[in-house]
Amino acid sequence: MSANLDSSPSREAVRDEIQHLQRRLREAEARLRGTTSSQDAIPKVLASDGPLAASSQHYLLLLSDSALPLGSFAFSSGLESYLAHTRPKSSFPDFLDFSLSSYASTTLPFVLGAHRDPTHLIELDDALDAAIMCTVGRRASVAQGRALLSIWDRSFAEARPAGSSLDVVTCLKDFALQLRATSSAVSSAGPVVSAHLAPLFGAVASILGMSPQQTAYVFMLSHVKALLSAAVRASIFGPYHGQKVLASTDVQKGIQRAITREWNTKVEDAGQIVPVMDLWIGRHEMLYSRIFNS
Amino acid sequence: MSSPFPPSSSAPGKGCLIVGQSPQKLSCLSKMTFQYPLKLISPSPASHHKSVLVFLLTYGGGLVGGDQVNLTIDVQKASKLSIATQGHTKIFKSPTPEVTTRQNLHVTIESGSALCLLPDPVQPFGESVYEQSQVFTIHEKGSLCLLDWVSAGRTARGEDWDFWRWSGRNEVWMSTDEQSKPRLLLRDNVLLDSPIVDKELNLVKKKMQGLEVFGTLVLRGPHVESLAAFILKEFAALPRIGARDFRSQEKKEKDSSIVLSHEESWRRDRLKQEARDGVMWSAAKVRGCTVIKFGARTVEGGRVWIGGMIKEEGSMVQCFGEEALMCIR
Repeated sequence: MSANLDSSPSREAVRDEIQHLQRRLREAEARLRGTTSSQDAIPKVLASDGPLAASSQHYLLLLSDSALPLGSFAFSSGLESYLAHTRPKSSFPDFLDFSLSSYASTTLPFVLGAHRDPTHLIELDDALDAAIMCTVGRRASVAQGRALLSIWDRSFAEARPAGSSLDVVTCLKDFALQLRATSSAVSSAGPVVSAHLAPLFGAVASILGMSPQQTAYVFMLSHVKALLSAAVRASIFGPYHGQKVLASTDVQKGIQRAITREWNTKVEDAGQIVPVMDLWIGRHEMLYSRIFNS
Repeated sequence: MSSPFPPSSSAPGKGCLIVGQSPQKLSCLSKMTFQYPLKLISPSPASHHKSVLVFLLTYGGGLVGGDQVNLTIDVQKASKLSIATQGHTKIFKSPTPEVTTRQNLHVTIESGSALCLLPDPVQPFGESVYEQSQVFTIHEKGSLCLLDWVSAGRTARGEDWDFWRWSGRNEVWMSTDEQSKPRLLLRDNVLLDSPIVDKELNLVKKKMQGLEVFGTLVLRGPHVESLAAFILKEFAALPRIGARDFRSQEKKEKDSSIVLSHEESWRRDRLKQEARDGVMWSAAKVRGCTVIKFGARTVEGGRVWIGGMIKEEGSMVQCFGEEALMCIR
């Protein structure tokens, strides 16, 4: 992550580094005095080491884990439909580029908005629901959002870090309650609470103490990982090539570019920057054979 | 010496349009004001007109860099309004990327009234900067048919999405009564821009995938319900992509001799046209509105397609009259 975007975590990292160096200095001095034998220098319990010690980093790893049961593997975000529409001229790098910028421009402002102020979760969820123009995309977003809400409810809620504010937690609880209440009484204008992934991800990450930079990066990286996993399963390329793309500087720069572009975008100004994406995703239902849900 | 006239309340590009119902139960204009560069024209009313027709025009057929148009429309209870244009709305080039040409539309659609907005596509020239915002506040029983489409520019001159920036916003808000706050039903933002840093690389052109026109049709309310249902049905009836024909030669010949119903033969011809003109479309129900997105390889192909859909279904002509559909035939 670039230095200007990432001021607070880098300061944190520097602080950790200072602690680390101080400890090494003490150890070296102790060795010099010869008061401790070399065997005693190895600590019995692995000392917390480096920036991974902070609990936010722990949750960062949990949220970026592909084993996080969101069900993302079931969705290809239009990749399958793109392949069917553009064969034989399909190009995965092109699609990745389109998908990154389109996903960021339509959802990232909601992630960041919810991260900044999780108490507005219901309004953000409603605004995102009004901005999704296709059934398939809505289904994918809601399925993953509900899964994240369940993960929060059943797994994360009790382990939340000590510093997290209580009203944000109650806000998520209210959200879950309202979701259950509306799903039984669906009005013609649509339910107020639908539990889309983007705002929920921002709110959960905010409670878990992740910085907005980390949240945005993990959110976008998870999208890329889901796309690559879908590409491997759609036999575009093998798993090694998939990892190669994932590790490439192109992907890193692409994510960074998308985040920079949307960093200050207001929720009302979020919009589609690749209009054809709506067509591809919307026409996924028209495919004769499908292996994904979107 | 002070002027004896009251100060003018009109500003450049500002317009106001109010449509109401006359005692004879006919829709009629009760107010129409506009100022340069905006121009509104309405043919004189006649009893056979099903809705008030207003042409939304601009002097010189387009907006020069930096022009601002602000139009407020109120469609009062039980009245009907159709808006059309005469040819593409041209957006001329801006002197610098900072100069934005704007068009804002604020529409209130009251109970039982209906608005049909079927204009020609917006045609942004190379190096133009355009922002369009259309906000509709609809009563629960009001109806809206909105078409918003944009073309690649002057393709005859080799332009292919060569503008600096184009953004379109369509919002639909629903109001139940005057006290409560309107509720957001739909927000459709499309943002297209290419970074000017690299002249060789036209990102918008790459993103548009060879389409020359891209459009959105939004339908909501009782007057357009049957059109919405018709289009959703046609979407569901599209042939599956990647399906193969497993019929034997004999079966095919037998099938082709069967006399098709009007609906089936129309659909067959439309599918042929879709394939010929590269029309790609999808339809979805979004919180009580029906949203149809489409793109085509030629502007004409897109026009034939959307016009064909609306005319085949027929309820728009009955509701608003032939004139309302003049831009899409």
